[in-house]
Amino acid sequence: MHQPHRLREVNVFDVGHADQSYFSSEKRDENAEIFRKVSQKSYKPMLNLLLELVQNHRGFQCAFSISGVFLEQAEHYDPAVLELIQKLVKTGKVELIAETYYHSLAALHSPAEFRVQVQKHRHMLQDLFDVTPRVFRNTELIYSNDIAAQIEELGYDAILTEAVDRYLHGRSKTQLYYSKTEGRTPLLLKHAELSDDIAFRFSDRNWSSYPLNAEMYADWVEVYPENEIVNLFMDFETFGEHQWEDTGIFNFWRAVVARLLERSWNKFVTPSEAVATLSSKKESLFDEKVYDVPDPISWADVDRDITAWQDNELQQDTLRQLYGMEETVLSSTDRSVLDKWRNLQTSDHFYYMCTKWSADGDVHSYFSPYTSPYEAYRRYCIILADLQEQLL
Amino acid sequence: MSTPLHSVLMIGWEYPPHNSGGLGVACEGLTEALYGQSTQIYFTLPHTNVGPVKHMKVLDCSNPAWFDEQNPSTHPPFFAYSGDVLRPAKKKTTIFERHELHALPESELETRVEEYAELVAQKARSVTGSYDVVHAHDWMSFPAAMRVAEATKKPFITHVHSTEFDRIPGGAGSKYIMETEYEGMSRATRVIAVSFYTKQLLVHTYGIDPDKIDVVHNGISPVSPSPDTGRHHFSPKRPVIVFMGRLTMQKGADHFIALAQSVMAKLPDALFIVAGDGDMYHQLLFETAHRGLSANVLFSGFIRDKQREMLLNRADVFVMPSLSEPFGLVALEAAQRHTPVIISKNAGVAEVLPSSRVADFWDVQAMTSEIKNLVTDHQYRTEMIDNQLKDLSSVTWENAAQKVRAVYQRAFLGRK
Repeated sequence: MHQPHRLREVNVFDVGHADQSYFSSEKRDENAEIFRKVSQKSYKPMLNLLLELVQNHRGFQCAFSISGVFLEQAEHYDPAVLELIQKLVKTGKVELIAETYYHSLAALHSPAEFRVQVQKHRHMLQDLFDVTPRVFRNTELIYSNDIAAQIEELGYDAILTEAVDRYLHGRSKTQLYYSKTEGRTPLLLKHAELSDDIAFRFSDRNWSSYPLNAEMYADWVEVYPENEIVNLFMDFETFGEHQWEDTGIFNFWRAVVARLLERSWNKFVTPSEAVATLSSKKESLFDEKVYDVPDPISWADVDRDITAWQDNELQQDTLRQLYGMEETVLSSTDRSVLDKWRNLQTSDHFYYMCTKWSADGDVHSYFSPYTSPYEAYRRYCIILADLQEQLL
Repeated sequence: MSTPLHSVLMIGWEYPPHNSGGLGVACEGLTEALYGQSTQIYFTLPHTNVGPVKHMKVLDCSNPAWFDEQNPSTHPPFFAYSGDVLRPAKKKTTIFERHELHALPESELETRVEEYAELVAQKARSVTGSYDVVHAHDWMSFPAAMRVAEATKKPFITHVHSTEFDRIPGGAGSKYIMETEYEGMSRATRVIAVSFYTKQLLVHTYGIDPDKIDVVHNGISPVSPSPDTGRHHFSPKRPVIVFMGRLTMQKGADHFIALAQSVMAKLPDALFIVAGDGDMYHQLLFETAHRGLSANVLFSGFIRDKQREMLLNRADVFVMPSLSEPFGLVALEAAQRHTPVIISKNAGVAEVLPSSRVADFWDVQAMTSEIKNLVTDHQYRTEMIDNQLKDLSSVTWENAAQKVRAVYQRAFLGRK
């Protein structure tokens, strides 16, 4: 679950006026509008459905990865969402997962900043839910050997990421893998096909399997033997936002859960439970189960790389400028500057600047509040200039 | 010296408030001043409804077929001149604009200009006895002027505000437009150029007889009330250097980005504002990022009215690195608002603003050291601002109108 603080409409004449919000104006708070809209369509109905499933099926469990900036917005814009999540967590059937507070790319740019943001997120989960997360997923499942080492240092039991064929080399993604790091941290890899059947293809009338029903879907899952794991990782908003209620997505999911639990060999597990069950004690097994990812991967676009956020020069230079300010920002006595700088790290800002076209480009423009990647860049630059001015 | 009363048939193309370019602004300033000097003006336009105009008689020479819901009849059937004033970002209310011209079937362009000529000729017939000379502004009106002049045997004057060679550097512009410009100037009794820079271009590139060309610089209306200059508008802690113009090859915005990088080495806190839009916009964004200037070169998009004034009031230095600029009115507006101006050598406006600084549009080094001096040396800067203001005192539409009336006189007397 994630919502960025999108930049408000700014112009060059705003540069250097102290104490202005970058994310909302007095006239308009677009972020509130979006949050409340998605809350009505997705967060509340789906959270209620999950609550119903947890109560009706002893075997149903799931996990949430919730960004800090999402939780902030939930508190401000629709506290009922937060209350529902708290209620679900209290059932013990929902695991909370660690990530960066700001849903940022800090792991790629500043290990020190990454650590701070993970800690800040952990503190928030402790405050709001009285839970300390044990499993980590980085922003957009961005992962590499180097990132795994950073996470390992922070002491997590497992990491979620994407199954990318060029690094699996033909191995099955329904096994537990281990990071290519000293500590060999267990990895859970996303099952992209089965996840995306729900997240992307469910309502696609041109899809050969349309309309998908619970029976068909359960058959696909049951292809895998009992001792393997199918990791379904998807945007929470799949339910109700990307797939609207009238596509039947809620009823579909309700039926899938019931259908899968009818058979004794199926089981829903949380990430921690999966790792505990599947971890191998035999060190000799490790090498063939090592997932060696030298260059960063993610769950985005066809290439499953990080070019959605840092590819073109607009993205690269804004990231360079932003992280180039780190030292000055940290030594500033103005706390509001630090807060702004961190909110500007949210990965969505760079995603909006993506100029890749083709099918990926469509996904990008679907998620962007701006008219074009150029407008995203233009606004972001104005904000950067203002932040710089505040540090002068 | 007394000058007899004149009456003129002026063939225009755009007029405020419905204009996109310096041409409309110039026509307004000039006709108002001519009226003040007892000149009677019939002014033709290819669109209707120019708003309340009392100083002249406007003749609507539009063809209803040119317009539809998307292209209201209040605008010319294409914007022919997008000089210094910037185009609104969202507006799509005209059929053709100068910068889109080359994407257009030339036959259509010719047809519209030809239709306009025909309509002007018809309308002109009803006032034939009432004017002494014909005065046509830029190529779109030249065919009309030639047609009227042929029918009435009256002297006609072509007034060159901008040529195809300025707009499309390197001579890669429209052959049809260049031919129309050439023919209009060749057949005219007299030619008015907006600067000596333009005159030499007309002589050397178009081969027009220099004795036939009079230079009449544009004027500028005084600012009232006096401008609210100073750093308080925005970014109070930094030197702000401004570019304002269409983002096209002609205006040299890419040279401005290169300049920004060079200045940053001397003044790391400097902020650069690029105001305007145009077909180079995306390319300029990439250029900015490529040079690592994302936090220091900002794009305002198209701005108008108050924001435009505010930007010129705020600017610490204004730079106009045009590849070829017949005049460059915006430099005068910047000077009026107490902003030191650095102008490309290929710009006419420097002729009336001798206290400005002049450099080759590509000479990043020279401009950099000039900007550094202006930003760091308060006295140097103040002197330059004062001198520019002194320069401006003679740059009036009244002076321009007097010269234009002298041209009428020469044309009327058949002198060359």
